[in-house]
Amino acid sequence: MPCETATVDAPAPFRQQLLLAIPRLRRYARSLVFDPSAADDLVQTALERALTHWHQFDQRRDILVWTISIAHNAHLDEHRRRARMPLVEPREGQPAAEDNLVANSPDIGLRLDLVAALRQLPVEQREPLLLVTLEQLSYAECAETLQIPIGTVMSRISRGRAALRALLDGHPVHAAPNLRRVV
Amino acid sequence: MNTPITDTDLHAWLDGELGAERRAEVEAWLHAQPEDAARVRLWAADRDVLRLQFEAMLTEPVPKRLRELVTGPGGRAAVAPWMRWAAAVALFALGGVVGAGVMWRSQSAPASASLAAAPSAGGGWVQRAAVAHAVYVPEVRHPVEVRAQEEHLSRWLTKRLDVPVKLFDLRAQGFELVGGRLLPDAAGPSAQLMYEAIASPEAASGAAAPKPTRVTVYLRKPDENTAAEFRYEQRGELGLFYWVEGTSEHGKACGYALVGALPRAQLLALAEAIYKQGGVVQ
Repeated sequence: MPCETATVDAPAPFRQQLLLAIPRLRRYARSLVFDPSAADDLVQTALERALTHWHQFDQRRDILVWTISIAHNAHLDEHRRRARMPLVEPREGQPAAEDNLVANSPDIGLRLDLVAALRQLPVEQREPLLLVTLEQLSYAECAETLQIPIGTVMSRISRGRAALRALLDGHPVHAAPNLRRVV
Repeated sequence: MNTPITDTDLHAWLDGELGAERRAEVEAWLHAQPEDAARVRLWAADRDVLRLQFEAMLTEPVPKRLRELVTGPGGRAAVAPWMRWAAAVALFALGGVVGAGVMWRSQSAPASASLAAAPSAGGGWVQRAAVAHAVYVPEVRHPVEVRAQEEHLSRWLTKRLDVPVKLFDLRAQGFELVGGRLLPDAAGPSAQLMYEAIASPEAASGAAAPKPTRVTVYLRKPDENTAAEFRYEQRGELGLFYWVEGTSEHGKACGYALVGALPRAQLLALAEAIYKQGGVVQ
């Protein structure tokens, strides 16, 4: 379906809801891909898909959860596409992104560390952790968004949080244990 | 007798995912296991830093290309005031404090210690609202100047402030009006309405009833340039919601600050009730 025709179709109340979801969608995208313009590109893709598929949106659901799951899928697609063509990733690893992120905020040291640590987490751990701690989704919503079982959400959060803490404590991420020591 | 507490339980506890029974078990465990408690506290701190880190994104203006993608060029779908409120509600409701937050937050500095914090986005009057709250809420004998039962309270404050002062009914939210007082503000008079949590019957019959929770509503005629947005601020254990309303045809704009040492979600419910009652012009 050509996107433009569908865009015309999306009713005004739906657009209003979508408009209100943008700030949080942008926050999620930024926390996921870090680079501001890459994050807004992801938001744009998610909004375009949402407008195209507006009729699939169940009004009983939270539009934010719905759009975040669209963004998640778009991000996965992008990931796969890049995996096939791993030529240049000019945005990856540029310190400019963090500089932007931490401007005007106190505790720059701590925040830089946190973003750096977050970056090192594998995306499978980073996503559930962001959804639950930053977006404050429930485990059930998180499972629904990522289309994984709730038990997987729980184990990934557990591992992700422990890994993040280990990184902040100055330990390499691969040494981060997710299991409690059995005495 | 109990299922052993695992790391997964600790995470689920922090994320507010446990039922009452398991939550109590985990809390008992955390009290008995300082090492685990310390770990959970660090996770909570990481969470708070993470939220702070990305908080600015929520108030950053939405880029034109994204806005117009949704509204169409020219942005014909302007956001109505109630939508703005809905957005604020969504934002704060989701930011609601769950279980863990309360515990860690209650260990932070007492309200009085952080009242001298940096000036808020709302300006000095929000600071004065917080100070007035801190001064009068602990008062046992004279919390208010005029008791709620005296019917001239509303008329008196309305006349002195030159803005409509309504006595909001927050009983549905579990709070009862104690009364109000007139206060000096920078540019003129302001008013403080005090509400008290309605005591449950069992608490009232108890031997030593604890001090009831109080919240205050600070009202004043806003300055010319005061922004109308709903805002939330946390100062130590005090949460503040503040906003300006009535800048429309009625002419009498009024600035509101709701102050209370309550979880954000609960304070939000009160703010919402006040907003709804204040929005209806008599």
